[in-house]
Amino acid sequence: MLSGCGSWSWGRRSAGPVGWGGADRQDPALSGNGRVLASVVRRDGRDTVLLQEQPSGTVLPLRHLQRLQPHRSPSLSWNGRYLALLVQQGPERRVLIEDRASGRLHRLPLPGGLVPESLSLAADGRRIAIATEGDGRSRVQLYDLTALLEPDLPAGLPVRGAPAATP
Amino acid sequence: MTHGHGRLGRMVALAGALPLLLTGCLAPLPQPLVGLNQRLEAAGPARAPSLSGDWLALIVSRGGRDRVELVDLQRQQPVPLPGLERPDAQPLSVAVDGRGERLALVRQLEGRTELVLYRRNLMALQPVPLQPPGVPRRVSLRADGRELAVEVSRQGQWQVDLIAVP
Repeated sequence: MLSGCGSWSWGRRSAGPVGWGGADRQDPALSGNGRVLASVVRRDGRDTVLLQEQPSGTVLPLRHLQRLQPHRSPSLSWNGRYLALLVQQGPERRVLIEDRASGRLHRLPLPGGLVPESLSLAADGRRIAIATEGDGRSRVQLYDLTALLEPDLPAGLPVRGAPAATP
Repeated sequence: MTHGHGRLGRMVALAGALPLLLTGCLAPLPQPLVGLNQRLEAAGPARAPSLSGDWLALIVSRGGRDRVELVDLQRQQPVPLPGLERPDAQPLSVAVDGRGERLALVRQLEGRTELVLYRRNLMALQPVPLQPPGVPRRVSLRADGRELAVEVSRQGQWQVDLIAVP
């Protein structure tokens, strides 16, 4: 069933300038709370992830991702603490997660022969879905990240497994 | 004597580096969710995942056709999406919110590429108009489902629109 346009009104805005002239902007991903936008822009001929606060457009720094272009398929956790994406490291395409709070970079090894095509990080950072090509077929696989990442939760939400606060 | 100092220095350096080496070797690895992955594998070739909360949306190829599936990760089962699918539509990109309630979808239908929003509780599909007009490609949805970001081609340039969902 395709509803008519009805009375819904769609508020819209452009994600704003990227700061490098009229560059293409692709592969958008919003943080869970909508305050950070990741996208991929062409900079110096290389596809590079750009992280911006919303709605100000202020560019947020990233620590580890230079010289690993092209970047693709960025995905953010709830507060934008974690940025997962695909990078090119020599002949290999790899899955990386940058922890913007601690500055750590996590590399996610995949079984041999599987080439990652896209990914999606759960907003709480507990799981990641990775689409791969390999062995003649495309597949999506899920990975548990709880041993690797602290949860990134909405403010005020308790961390599962943490001791309850005493009154 | 110099050689002895050199050897000792190397041993001290190695001992200092040992915890780092061990940390590297013992660093926790992401664990594949084996049961879920087996079910996904059995469902057919799949691509374009969107993960939010306990929900996974993806595009699955079956019987020569691509279709959108929404998987409840708690129950490890796909859920029905009545009113979403059309046999003549080709899904390109899908995104789900954290409650598994709203799906944003880019699809090709009758020679056009369109962006639509599906609400599961209403079983209703709503076209999302692009202003100015353009051709959408990849879409992302905020976890609370209140805003989407979509890549749009206009006059040969890719742009990103942010659209508040009513």
